[in-house]
Amino acid sequence: MVVPAMLAMRDIRKSFAGVPANDGISFDVGEGEIHALLGENGAGKTTLMNILYGIYAADSGSIVWRGEVLGGHGPKEAIAQGIGMVHQHFMLVPTLSVSENITLGLKSRGHPFPDRRRLDTDILELSARYGLDVDPAAKVASLSVGERQRVEIMKLLYRDARLLILDEPTAVLTPGETDGLFRVLATCKGQGHSVILITHRISEVLAFADRITVLRDGARVATLEAAGATAAGLSTLMIGRELKSPARRTAPAASLPRSAAGDRAGLEARAISLRPVAGKGLQSVSFSVAPGEIFGIAGVDGNGQKELAECLLGLRIPDSGKLLFGGLPVEGLGPRQRKRRGLAYVSDDRHHDGLVLGFDLAENYLLGKLDDPRFVRFGLVDRKACLRGAGGAIADYHVKTRGPTEEVRLLSGGNQQKLILARELSSGPAIIVAFQPARGLDIGATEFVHERLLERRAAGSSVLLISSDMDELLGLADRLAVLHRGRLSPAYDNDGSLDMMRIGLLMGGQGMAEEACAS
Amino acid sequence: MRFLRTLGFAALVLLLVLAVAAALVIAVRADPGKAASGFLRGAFGSFYSISEVLVRATPLILAGLGVSIGFRTGFFNIGAEGQIYLGATAATAVGLLFPGLPALVLLPLALLCGFAGGGLWSAVPGFLKSRFGLSEVITTIMFNYIAINVVGILVRSVMKDPSYPLPMSPDLPEAMHLPVILEPTRLHLGLVIALVAALAVWFLMSRTAAGFRMRAVGLNPRGSLVAGISVPANLLLASALSGGLAGLAGASEITGIHHRLLEGISPGFGYVAIIAALLGRNHPGGIVIASLGIAALQVGSSSMQRASGVPSSISWIIMGVLVLLILARRPDRDRVAR
Ligand SMILES: Nc1ncnc2c1ncn2[C@@H]1O[C@H](COP(=O)(O)OP(=O)(O)OP(=O)(O)O)[C@@H](O)[C@H]1O
Ligand SMILES: [Mg+2]
Repeated sequence: MVVPAMLAMRDIRKSFAGVPANDGISFDVGEGEIHALLGENGAGKTTLMNILYGIYAADSGSIVWRGEVLGGHGPKEAIAQGIGMVHQHFMLVPTLSVSENITLGLKSRGHPFPDRRRLDTDILELSARYGLDVDPAAKVASLSVGERQRVEIMKLLYRDARLLILDEPTAVLTPGETDGLFRVLATCKGQGHSVILITHRISEVLAFADRITVLRDGARVATLEAAGATAAGLSTLMIGRELKSPARRTAPAASLPRSAAGDRAGLEARAISLRPVAGKGLQSVSFSVAPGEIFGIAGVDGNGQKELAECLLGLRIPDSGKLLFGGLPVEGLGPRQRKRRGLAYVSDDRHHDGLVLGFDLAENYLLGKLDDPRFVRFGLVDRKACLRGAGGAIADYHVKTRGPTEEVRLLSGGNQQKLILARELSSGPAIIVAFQPARGLDIGATEFVHERLLERRAAGSSVLLISSDMDELLGLADRLAVLHRGRLSPAYDNDGSLDMMRIGLLMGGQGMAEEACAS
Repeated sequence: MRFLRTLGFAALVLLLVLAVAAALVIAVRADPGKAASGFLRGAFGSFYSISEVLVRATPLILAGLGVSIGFRTGFFNIGAEGQIYLGATAATAVGLLFPGLPALVLLPLALLCGFAGGGLWSAVPGFLKSRFGLSEVITTIMFNYIAINVVGILVRSVMKDPSYPLPMSPDLPEAMHLPVILEPTRLHLGLVIALVAALAVWFLMSRTAAGFRMRAVGLNPRGSLVAGISVPANLLLASALSGGLAGLAGASEITGIHHRLLEGISPGFGYVAIIAALLGRNHPGGIVIASLGIAALQVGSSSMQRASGVPSSISWIIMGVLVLLILARRPDRDRVAR
């Protein structure tokens, strides 16, 4: 670069308890540049950004931001200087409204009694300008992960950040939303804003980034121009080998023991309805998943996915309709009994639903094994068995950690997700409800998880895959349907005949009513 | 590294506390030397004074253990004081109702009823929280007032000793007295019970599935629900156990020290127990140590008052300072959710 870099980080080092997470990383970002940061789970991307944003202090190294040395700063100073960050795990206040969250900590006009209605109008204006659909009055607690993401991005835009740090912003967005986001980012770029983008999706990087920096085991392995990069080259830099072709079905659905298992569906929902709360309910949702089948539910996050998943788990009770596991009704059964009936559940929200962050890995492993006599006998916890179980999960799923006694809070996001998957899939479940199971996983780990799901399918599990990632669904699902505003479209076979145009329209809500009537 | 930092922090706290104490002593124009020697003699100066510290620590350990179970499950039990009163009442009732029973039956029965009394009393706020979401912080405090005043009424009415003008119950049968374990002091078997309880609580919380469930609920109720752990059931269980141990503290005071029910049976043990749980970081071992420390502070400062005229309420001020210091210590700055 000829122009002096807007941001220059030099030889950044940071260790946690003696283990280096950043091992002398140098990194710079120019004005109006979209710079992608790539790397495996646990490579140190989030740590590096946390240092830039002032959450952690580096052990050594320097940061120069617009010609001035930054050091000893906290997030507050970072924002004031025009550096904004959306974290991998959102940091919104669930009990406050969207608009309160966006303006939180700002001394808006009229502080401390701001004119909420004016702020709301500002926010709506901004959201229209960037195509980020948010309702300022909604409580954040009632929002899905995808919607919270939008609020986080709005928060930065509202603060007029010069440098946007986005830690895996697209993990929960649909292709359409992702395109929208990148349009937003392109606009920002045009006005001289810079963007640091952490993502595991190489296609996005190639399409939208200007330059790419790849980290591995806490060190920078390369910085290159996106124009000359290739997907194969990048994945080799990241994981040290080439990726197998993106997860394709290993066997066509027809050749599976699907009909052999008889016509008893593994998982069946008959006209499940849920009265809408805050606009989100379910309207007569029906589907069935045969043993050995992966059934995909596509759609933009926040269209009833969470509600549906929670009905299946037994956290919510549908107002009407019937749910059957292996042909038997499960009405009145809570999560514990349903899990005993062979249900495995992977939530989209690992921090709140999937893990107890203050527990170590072994305890989090036990969380899914409380009814398993190998781990709990006569009410006593077999700690050794838990350590062994967690140790096995760490080895099988390549969880990057110091060991089964490390607190889960200290793991990188992708590694936390791997632990959940290892725990949930290890019991040989008959039914798997997987809600964004690869969210936040690096390419190698995503491939790995997809292989595990296909393995379970081959073993005769009924897999319900709820995802907003169309590539994931197309790669894995035998059949798929679209969920929009609480309604499920008819199911389509995922083969050559799949009409992607129609799926896209359905995801936007077009044609939904006719489809529903026709079926 | 972590250990060294903790040690350094402890030294700093000690220094600050000593400074505050010295300032208070000088402020009331007492002789610091006399005050210090009075304090030390009172707390550690003799066989008897040490035994008094242990006597004082006994109810603190029991109630502190109870409070810690609640805290770890997310049931913030501020009501140990009332639960102590209820436990004491239940134990007394057993003695008054069945005076003829042999000691081997009567004593365990009284302690058990003390546990049950405190447990049931605390399970009511537990139920209100798990069923209706009422804040236990409010309800347990209110239950303190009710319990203390119920005892006030009882010792003036149905439980009153008719042969005596003061509001107190008749003497309880000899068979109900907890044996003294160190003649000629007042040190009674309650201390042993408290130490056994500490062991039991440690075992329950860190070795059993029930304890694991309670801890999970305390750390992440939503995640517990998803994992199939019932949040209401565990809140109820924790509230009952929490109050039960406080009730046992009350029963131990009745059977070990007072041998009758009277008003003011607890000079705020239930509140100090919260401090003990806090200082002991909700760990049974820590609670035993914290309780011993607080007991020494209280016993020592009473003796300091006698020796040098410094009001013994100084011990409360010091405890307040201690709690503030402990709370002010930020965990780890690096421990950010990621
Ligand atoms: N506060 C901490 N204490 C201890 N270890 C930590 C801490 N923060 C990060 N680590 C460790 O440092 C390493 C790098 O973590 P980091 O979160 O930066 O990874 P990442 O590249 O963002 O991965 P992911 O793609 O999974 O989010 C990991 O091995 C992690 O366990
Ligand atoms: Mg990360």
